[in-house]
Amino acid sequence: MRRYCVYLIMVLALIPAFAAMNGCSKKRANTKYVIGMSQCNLGEPWRVQMNADIKAAADKHPELKVLFTDASNNTSTQQAQVREFITQAVDLIIISPKESRPLTKPVAEAIDTGIPVIVLDRKVEGDKYTCFIGADNVKIGREAGKYMVKLLAGKGKVVELKGLMTSTPGQERHEGFMQGIKGSQIEIIFSADCHWLEPDAQREMKSALSRFPQIDAVYAHNDPSAHGAWKAAQMEGKGREKSIKFIGIDALPHEGVRYVKDGILSATFQYPTGGAEAIDIALKILKGEKVPKNVTLGTRIFTKDNVGKGGEPL
Amino acid sequence: MMHISNQKGTKPRFSSAEATSKSIAYRTISFLANFRGITALIAVFLLGVILSPRLPENNLPIFLTWRAQSDILFEYAEYGILATGMTLVILAGGIDLSVGSVLGFAATLFSLLMIGFGWSAPAAIVVTLMAGAVMGLVNGCLVARFRMQSFVATLAMMVAARGAAKLISEGIKVQPAAKPWYALQANTPPIFEWMTTRIPVLGLQPITIIFLINILVMLAVVRYTRFGRQLYAIGGNEEAARLSGIRTGLTKVYAFTLCATMAAVAGISNATRLDLGDPEAGATYELDAIAAVVIGGTSLMGGQGGMFFTLIGTLIIGFINKILSLRAVPEHYRLLAKGAIIVAAVLIQQKKQFSK
Repeated sequence: MRRYCVYLIMVLALIPAFAAMNGCSKKRANTKYVIGMSQCNLGEPWRVQMNADIKAAADKHPELKVLFTDASNNTSTQQAQVREFITQAVDLIIISPKESRPLTKPVAEAIDTGIPVIVLDRKVEGDKYTCFIGADNVKIGREAGKYMVKLLAGKGKVVELKGLMTSTPGQERHEGFMQGIKGSQIEIIFSADCHWLEPDAQREMKSALSRFPQIDAVYAHNDPSAHGAWKAAQMEGKGREKSIKFIGIDALPHEGVRYVKDGILSATFQYPTGGAEAIDIALKILKGEKVPKNVTLGTRIFTKDNVGKGGEPL
Repeated sequence: MMHISNQKGTKPRFSSAEATSKSIAYRTISFLANFRGITALIAVFLLGVILSPRLPENNLPIFLTWRAQSDILFEYAEYGILATGMTLVILAGGIDLSVGSVLGFAATLFSLLMIGFGWSAPAAIVVTLMAGAVMGLVNGCLVARFRMQSFVATLAMMVAARGAAKLISEGIKVQPAAKPWYALQANTPPIFEWMTTRIPVLGLQPITIIFLINILVMLAVVRYTRFGRQLYAIGGNEEAARLSGIRTGLTKVYAFTLCATMAAVAGISNATRLDLGDPEAGATYELDAIAAVVIGGTSLMGGQGGMFFTLIGTLIIGFINKILSLRAVPEHYRLLAKGAIIVAAVLIQQKKQFSK
């Protein structure tokens, strides 16, 4: 009996907690359009930023209400979320899919029921979507490569800290970089798969540092890896973090951009989330205007000189 | 030095006739059995020396340098601290899947207190350790009082602690200027740098020293205190332990609480090492900690093994990863090699049991 009482109290204690969780979505009086946003994994800071960009853009338009859902890196959860949006009859769906193929069908179902769908970052198969917004990782890698050539005056020893090499962004950022440094005397002396993770990058960089007395620059596939590499060099205590130049990718405001401001990174290249653009295009669709089928976002470079002005488009 | 640890296991390993005469033979065999772990460690070390790339200036294998060796201790200190706590729980026949998440929560909380609220280091450390201890206490109570299996109880904590870390950080990494209201907007507090800077005379970083002191203290605790012997007794046969008057529940609560507190220590180390508090830190670290314990030779069934084995297991993993990393071996070969090493280590462990 006593044990049941304990369980009962525990369950009762949860009720106000859940009530509090729901309290965040305040109802707006003059909402005209409801947008469902399905994010595949809020465990990644870049995706947190995408949601923040969408929210910031949507907040400027009082007629919009955005329902945010997080699939927590689970494809079947995301499939269910899209179908729930269809059941709820939202006016528009924005989705950043975890995987292309499994989400193609739910997106097509939405289109068939007449709900427009904006696909962000990763494509779905076929052409049953309204608009795709994405960035070009090969281009970003190429720009990073060209910048590296300029930074080292065409000659030097570089460590490449790769992202997860079984993922498309990792492969494309590598491929682009190799195109960018083609024809120069830049040599990649050490490279390792750091799975986008800072601790792994730090560890690999320590190995590189103990193996090579001369390293001119580090090209990391994301900013946390670049920061981890810098920290590894700093821990040496010989000032090597000053003689090595670090380049990262992603340029999130509180990560890469701040590292550039602090002089940790020489440059970072923005991998735009497309959040703000998605809301712009959503408004056009909802007003019945014509929108392009594919939108490729440009990148911005942030260096010490232009970071105050918000970077420069490339 | 470890030859008596096997005696503490409650499972009889010898027939009664042999066991009654604690002969020189027994001690020799036990000694050699333990020697096997050290032999494996030495073998991996020599492998490292042979396979290591050499320094260009004097042709010395990089793996042999003090710097590479101290780097290994430094890089695997967090895993080592986690594995130390994990050993306590595993010896008592349990498992703790939540250590990785508790590490992430502690790293986030510590950074938030120091960078976000501008607390002093001692206050932040005490509160973080206490938060870790409370999480362990919850694990322990769920297992001991509510009779949940430790796998299930700590699985729940693994998910919940990760949620708590994301809640307090709002899903972004805690570092100066990440939020406009943070007390610190420019640099992390000096303790972040101090923890990761080599202390001149010793040549080791405080994180490494914490790991080494912690595991040595726990080695003594497990071998020489009543608490340690009770862990073995519970892991060997819980019912028998209970009937012989051991307060099994309380001992398990202590084990889980210590384990989670150590995860919090590892969390603080993680935050200072990365110079930020990452709510995603420590994901899958629990598996690495379990691997370190198992590779050392502690049995997942409980009651057999010891802290010294865990030190060996941690070093073996550290050595192997360092060799692979120094040679810049491609990812797919690394994973294959790691899998093979785990199987090899477990086979050695089994052989040890056959030989008796």
